Amino acid sequence: MAGLSLKNVTKRYGMLEVIHGANLEIADGEFVVFVGPSGCGKSTLLRMIAGLEDIVEGEIRIGGKVVNDAEPSDRGIAMVFQSYALYPHMTVGENLSFGLRMNGNPRVDTERRVRRAAEILQINELMQRRPKQLSGGQRQRVAIGRAIVREPQVFLFDEPLSNLDAELRVQMRVEISRLHKQLGTTMVYVTHDQTEAMTLADKIVVLRAGKIEQVGAPLDLYDDPANRFVAGFVGSPKMNFLETKVTSSDATGVSVSLDCEPAVRLSLPVKTPIAEGTAVTLGVRPEHFLTAGSGDADLTVHVDVAEHLGNTSYVHASTAGGEQLIIERPESRTVANRDQLTVALSARRTFLFDSQGNRLR
Amino acid sequence: MPSRNRVAYAFLAPYLLIFATFWVWPIISSFLLSFQNTRVNPWRFQPSLNWGRLVADPAFYNALYNTLIILVIQVPVMIALATVMAVLLNSPLLKARPLYRFAFFAPVVVGEVAYAAVFRLMFSADFGIINKLITSIGFAPVSWFDNATAAMILIIIAVTWRWAGYNAIIILAGLQSIPGDVYEAATLDRVSKRQQFLHITLPLLKPIILFCAVLSVIGTMQLFTEPFLITNRGGPGGGTETLGLLLYRQGFTSLNFGYASAIAYTIAALAIAISLLNLWVAREPK
Amino acid sequence: MRSKSKTLLWQKITLHAVLTPLAIIWLFPLWVMFVFSTMPDYGIFSPDIVLIPSTNFIENFKNLQADTDFLRAMFISIAVAVIYTILSVFLTSMAGWALARYRFAGKPFVIAIILGTITLPFAVVVIPQFIMVAREFKLANTWIALIVPPLFNSLGVLFMRQSFSMMPGELFDAARVEGVKEWQIFLRVALPLARPTMAALAIILFLASWNNYLWPLLINSRPGMMTAPVALGTLIGLTKVSWGGIMAGAVLLTAPILVIFVLLQRHFIAGITAGAVK
Repeated sequence: MAGLSLKNVTKRYGMLEVIHGANLEIADGEFVVFVGPSGCGKSTLLRMIAGLEDIVEGEIRIGGKVVNDAEPSDRGIAMVFQSYALYPHMTVGENLSFGLRMNGNPRVDTERRVRRAAEILQINELMQRRPKQLSGGQRQRVAIGRAIVREPQVFLFDEPLSNLDAELRVQMRVEISRLHKQLGTTMVYVTHDQTEAMTLADKIVVLRAGKIEQVGAPLDLYDDPANRFVAGFVGSPKMNFLETKVTSSDATGVSVSLDCEPAVRLSLPVKTPIAEGTAVTLGVRPEHFLTAGSGDADLTVHVDVAEHLGNTSYVHASTAGGEQLIIERPESRTVANRDQLTVALSARRTFLFDSQGNRLR
Repeated sequence: MPSRNRVAYAFLAPYLLIFATFWVWPIISSFLLSFQNTRVNPWRFQPSLNWGRLVADPAFYNALYNTLIILVIQVPVMIALATVMAVLLNSPLLKARPLYRFAFFAPVVVGEVAYAAVFRLMFSADFGIINKLITSIGFAPVSWFDNATAAMILIIIAVTWRWAGYNAIIILAGLQSIPGDVYEAATLDRVSKRQQFLHITLPLLKPIILFCAVLSVIGTMQLFTEPFLITNRGGPGGGTETLGLLLYRQGFTSLNFGYASAIAYTIAALAIAISLLNLWVAREPK
Repeated sequence: MRSKSKTLLWQKITLHAVLTPLAIIWLFPLWVMFVFSTMPDYGIFSPDIVLIPSTNFIENFKNLQADTDFLRAMFISIAVAVIYTILSVFLTSMAGWALARYRFAGKPFVIAIILGTITLPFAVVVIPQFIMVAREFKLANTWIALIVPPLFNSLGVLFMRQSFSMMPGELFDAARVEGVKEWQIFLRVALPLARPTMAALAIILFLASWNNYLWPLLINSRPGMMTAPVALGTLIGLTKVSWGGIMAGAVLLTAPILVIFVLLQRHFIAGITAGAVK
C-alpha cells in the first residue's frame, strides 16, 4: 500500500509541452479520478505514473520512492486499459497468470493469486474461455482481475468503462467502487465522464490542456468550483452562463444586471471589489433555477424544446438576447415548445466569473 | 512509446546486417563499378569507359528498343485484360467462381522455368501444338523462334499469360474494397450499370491500376527468363534481347562487370523514370 | 422495356460467354504441360493434336533423371525454400516489430532506406552480389549462397511492420506493466497475434524461393548443387533431350505449389494484395 506524489511533472514531445508541471499528492488508499476533456493530458499523466511514458522534468514518487527511471513492472502498479488489452490468444486463466509466469513466480503462489482474483470478481466459470467468447462486462472483469493478481500498491485505470454500454457502465462503476472498499488500495482512475468522476472519487483532479485546474472532493468541486472551466465541466447538464455587467460593488457584495435583460438585477455575496460596468459571467446550474417569485430575481425565457424525462424535465430555452439555457424543472410536464417560461434566480446558488474565467468570490 | 535504442537495435540487427551487406552495399557498389574498367587486372577507375560504350553500343539500343516495345504493348494489354478479368470475376451473377479464379490465378504460382519450357514446346515450329492448331484451320505455320516479330509476340503472349492473373488479384481486391452502398446509392439515382463502371468503379480503381502498372514496368524492365529460355537467349539474332538479357550476357558471359553495372543502373533509372512518368500522367488534377 | 429477370439472364449469358473461352485459353498451357508429361516423346512429335493424357509419366521422369539429377535438385529446392522461408519470416518479423513498436535513434533513416529502395530492380545488385558471394566469400555452389543473400528482401519487414502497428498498443503496455521482457512480449504476445500475416508472408516467400531462377543460375551452376528450376533450365534448348522428361520436371515444379495455392488461396491472395490495397 502506498501513496503517490507528483512534483512538477512535465511532458514534452519535441517542442510541444503536453503536461505543464503537475503537482499532486495522493494519500495511501485514496481513490483519485483524473477527469477532463479528451486531449487534456489525463491519460498521458497516468501513463507517466505507470512508466509507459518518459518523464521529461519533475519527479514521481510511489510509496515515497522516486520511480522516474524505474521499469513499469518495478513500480508496484497494475493497470487496467481502455481496450482491456486482454491477450486474445490466451484463455482467461492464462491471461491472469501470464505476467507472473513470465517472471518465474512460484506456481503455487501464482495459482493462489489467480484463484483469489477470480473469487473477488466472480469469474471462476470463465477461466477456460478466450476473450472473444466473453461479453464486454466479463472482459472488463478479467482485465481488472489481471491487475489484482499483481497485488499492486497502486491501481491505475485508463478509461476502463468507455467501451461499455450505458447500463453496464453503471453496474461496473458500482463494482469498482466496491472493489476499492474491499481492497483499500490506492486507485488512480482516468475518465472523461464527469458522472464517473463524481460517483467514484474520493478526490477529483480536473485537467485542461495539460494543466491541473482544481483538486478536491466531488461535492467541493460541485459547490465551489475554482473557475469557469471546472464549473462547466462538473455537473450534468452543464452549468449555464449568462453575460452580465456590474452595476455596483461594495464590501457586502456585487450587483449585476443581465445583458439580455438589463432589468433583471441580482446581488451576490461576492467580497472582491469590481469596477462598475465590468463585464462578468453569471453561472447558474440547470437544477438551481427556482419557481418564479421564490428567488431573488425573475427571468422570463422562450422555450425552444422541452424534454420530459418523467421525474424531471429539461427545458432548452433562449433569453431575449439569444443566449441558450438549459433549465431543469421537476414535475413540470406542462411546459411546451414555444411557451414563455419564467424562472427565478437565487443569489446563493449562482457563481460569478471574470472575463478570464476565474471565479469571483 | 518510450525510446528504447538498445532493444530496438537488438531486434533489427540480424536483418539490417543482411540488408546492408546484400542490398544497400551492392546498390552503391554497382554504381561505383559502372565507372571502372573491369577488364584489366587490377580494376581501374575509368569513368567514361562503360558509359561511353553504352551510348554508342548498337546492342544496347537494340535491347532498349526490344524492352520498350514489350513494355509499350504488353503492359497496357495485360492491365486491361486483368481489369476485365477482375470485374467479371467480381460479378455476383458468376457461377462456378472458384473454377474461373483457379484458371486465371494459377499461372501466378507457376515458376518461370516450368512455363518457359511449356511455351517453348507449345510454340515449337515443327511439332508445337499452336502451329498444329493454326494449320488445322488452314493458315500457314508460324516460325515463332526464327522470325523476330513472331518471337516478340510470343514473349508478349507468355508474359501476359503469366502475369495477368497476378494483376487481376490485386485489382479484384481493390474492387471488393469499394463499399457496396456506393453502388446502391447510384442505382437509386438511376445511374446505369455502364455509367457506374465508368464513373464510380474506374476512378476508384485508378490508384490500384496505377500500382499494377508501376509493378509491371519494373518487372518488364528487367525481363530476363522469358527471352533467355523461351526464345533461346534473345533469338533470333538478338531479336528478343532485352536489357535484362544484355546485362546477363555482359556480366556473366563476357564477365565485363563494369559495363554490366552501367546497364543495371540504366535499367533501374528507366524503371524509376517510367514509373514516375506514369504517376505524373495519372496525377489528380489540382 | 424488357423485364428485369430477362435482362439479368442475358447479362449472365454474356458474362459466361466471355469468361469461359478466356479461362480455357488460360488453363491450356497447364493442361498441355500435364498431358505431355504423360506422353512418350513420339506422341509429342506426332502430327496429330493430342490433348488426352497418356500413362508414360514414370518413364518420362526416368528420362529426365538420366538427363540431369532432378531428384537431387528437387531436394535442394525444397530444403532451400523451407530454410529460407523460416529464416526470412523470423528476421523480417523482428525488424518489423522494432520498426512498428519502438522509438529509437535512426528509425526514420532505416525506414527511408527500406522504402526508398524497395522498388529497385534486382538487376541493380546482381553483379556486386555475385562478385561478393562468388569471388570474395568464395561461396559459389554452397547452401549458404542460395539461402542467405536473398534474405535481404524487405517486403516482409514492411508487411510485418504493418501488421504489428495495427495491433492495439495497450496489449504490449499491459505486458510491460506486468514485467514481461521485451523479447517475451515479441515471442509470446506479438508473434502469436501476427500468425495470419506470417502465414501469408511465408507463402509468398516460399513461392519466391521455389521459383527463383536468376540468382541460383548464377551462383550454383555446378551439377549437384543446382536447384530444380536451374537443373530443368539447363535442358531447355538442348537437342538430344526428352521433352516428355522436361514436361515431367515442369509438372513436378508446378504441381506442389498449385496444391498449396488451392489449399491456402486466402493467404496467397492476402500476401499478393498486401502492398496494394490499404
